[in-house]
Amino acid sequence: MSKLRKFRKSILNIFLLGYSLLSIYPLLWMIMNSFKKNSEFMVNNMSFPKNLNFMNYVDAFMTSKMNIYYINSIIVSIVSIFLILIIIFSIGYVFSRYIFVGRRLMYVLFLFGMLIPTHSLLIPLFTQYKLMGLLNSRMALILTYCGYNLPAGIFLVEGFVHSIPRELEEAAYIDGANMIDTMLKIILPITKPVLVTSMLLAFINIWNEMPFALVLASKDSLRTIPIGLANFSGEFSVNYTQLLAASVLATLPVIIIYGLFNNQIVNGMVSGSVKG
Amino acid sequence: MESNIFKQQKKYIPYILAPGVLIYVFVVLTPLFIGLKYGFYDWSGGPKKIFIFFDNYIRLIHDQDFLSSLLNNFKLMVVVMFFQLIIAFILALVLNSKLTKWKDFHRFAIFLPVVVSQVAVSILWKLIYNQNYGLLNRFLNSVGLSFLTQKWLDDPKVVLYSVAAVIIWQFIGIYLVIFLSGLQAVPNELYESAQIDGANAITRTTKITIPLMKQTILVALILAIAGSMKIFDHIYVMTGGGPGKASTVAAMYAYNMTFKRFEYGYASAISMAILLVSLSLIIITQLIIKLISNSENKGIN
Repeated sequence: MSKLRKFRKSILNIFLLGYSLLSIYPLLWMIMNSFKKNSEFMVNNMSFPKNLNFMNYVDAFMTSKMNIYYINSIIVSIVSIFLILIIIFSIGYVFSRYIFVGRRLMYVLFLFGMLIPTHSLLIPLFTQYKLMGLLNSRMALILTYCGYNLPAGIFLVEGFVHSIPRELEEAAYIDGANMIDTMLKIILPITKPVLVTSMLLAFINIWNEMPFALVLASKDSLRTIPIGLANFSGEFSVNYTQLLAASVLATLPVIIIYGLFNNQIVNGMVSGSVKG
Repeated sequence: MESNIFKQQKKYIPYILAPGVLIYVFVVLTPLFIGLKYGFYDWSGGPKKIFIFFDNYIRLIHDQDFLSSLLNNFKLMVVVMFFQLIIAFILALVLNSKLTKWKDFHRFAIFLPVVVSQVAVSILWKLIYNQNYGLLNRFLNSVGLSFLTQKWLDDPKVVLYSVAAVIIWQFIGIYLVIFLSGLQAVPNELYESAQIDGANAITRTTKITIPLMKQTILVALILAIAGSMKIFDHIYVMTGGGPGKASTVAAMYAYNMTFKRFEYGYASAISMAILLVSLSLIIITQLIIKLISNSENKGIN
């Protein structure tokens, strides 16, 4: 290898390493400083903590109600994801196997849903729930998260089912099975990988979602983690290290899931956003 | 597409579709009509609703605060798009090169901020930007660049760029992965023959890579434009739209109109305007793309 090539190689690698560090250093800084006392943070926030101090984490649960927000986020995520998976599996399957009256219209509407900027519907949705008396309920959040996560999932399932040969289903029908049996016993096991991807993406979306939660469920006892965190940042803006500990708690589940399934998440997110 | 055996099962279709379609119509389509309807009303949440036709929309186009918030969206769009696409493209080229190692680690690290909550990221960067204790000013002081220190989030001239930097930092991973998949589709033989002809890396990039990746670049462009209209979380947490109105974006303005001034009718009109602007931006970009590719096809023929 020539000298020039070696030089180029090290320059490129250093550049890349530098950028990767820029991407993760702020997050490491967040974790590092969450173990400091606020006074230590004020004096020096660039070094490692002198000793690991878990007080901030305890306080985040005791005084800033992170436990309530955690429970709310978990309930809302689980119920929404459960609904999302059932619906995208059934609609995705029917879309890919059948032609029926209204199919085209539904298809266009779901596509349109991926195009609409959700922020333009924030206030109208608030108005709608207000008129119906649904504001400040878990139901409002769950239905909303479910609806906005449907299009991406439906198209993912639809595309996948297209690649499954029909012979399996035909054989089942000849044996006298009905559509529901066939879907559950034959198609569902094969479709599992796409459903897992959809589940991961929906979880990340819902766990992190803020504008809808802010507008639809602002009552303290219903707040999800992002809203709790945002409020916390407004109220206790001087207790920096406790704020960082709460932020670490908020991001931990997502980071763990990303660590375990990063290929699925990256590919799913990118293909979803490219289609939209 | 269908055989008879499948047709016999059609009776189940309505039951299978109904729950999902109902939920979708309820949360995505009805708000659209609600927004359209109340955009024509003077309504502050109480029982009194007065139909005022286009008055809200006429007020809107004369509302300096709304126009400046929309302008902030455009400024953010231009700055974010420019840096995000260029940096992501360079990173993708470097990461795709045979000379670089640890590719999986780099992709993992650069994409990581994408999955992290925007609220947590905003809190984190608010502290990094903090004028007195923040990491950024401390770092600049410690390396002797004190003259570069800023009131990152409190100076009306700087604040939009500070916010833009966070958005670029957080979402660049998406564009990196899009470009990487585009690069992998470019056949290697092209580079090899160009190399034999003596073309250097820059010529190879501008003459082979960029033209072949046009489709991918356009997809990234549309994504960046659509994304810029969705900016809300970062601003809400980091600046609250301030100082003054310096970093208020359109979605934030509609939010304030609803929750601080209780002008539900006017806020509905603002929401419809945001929808119109976003959709037109997306449609215009797609039309431009079509025009460009059509004229090129003619050139070839």
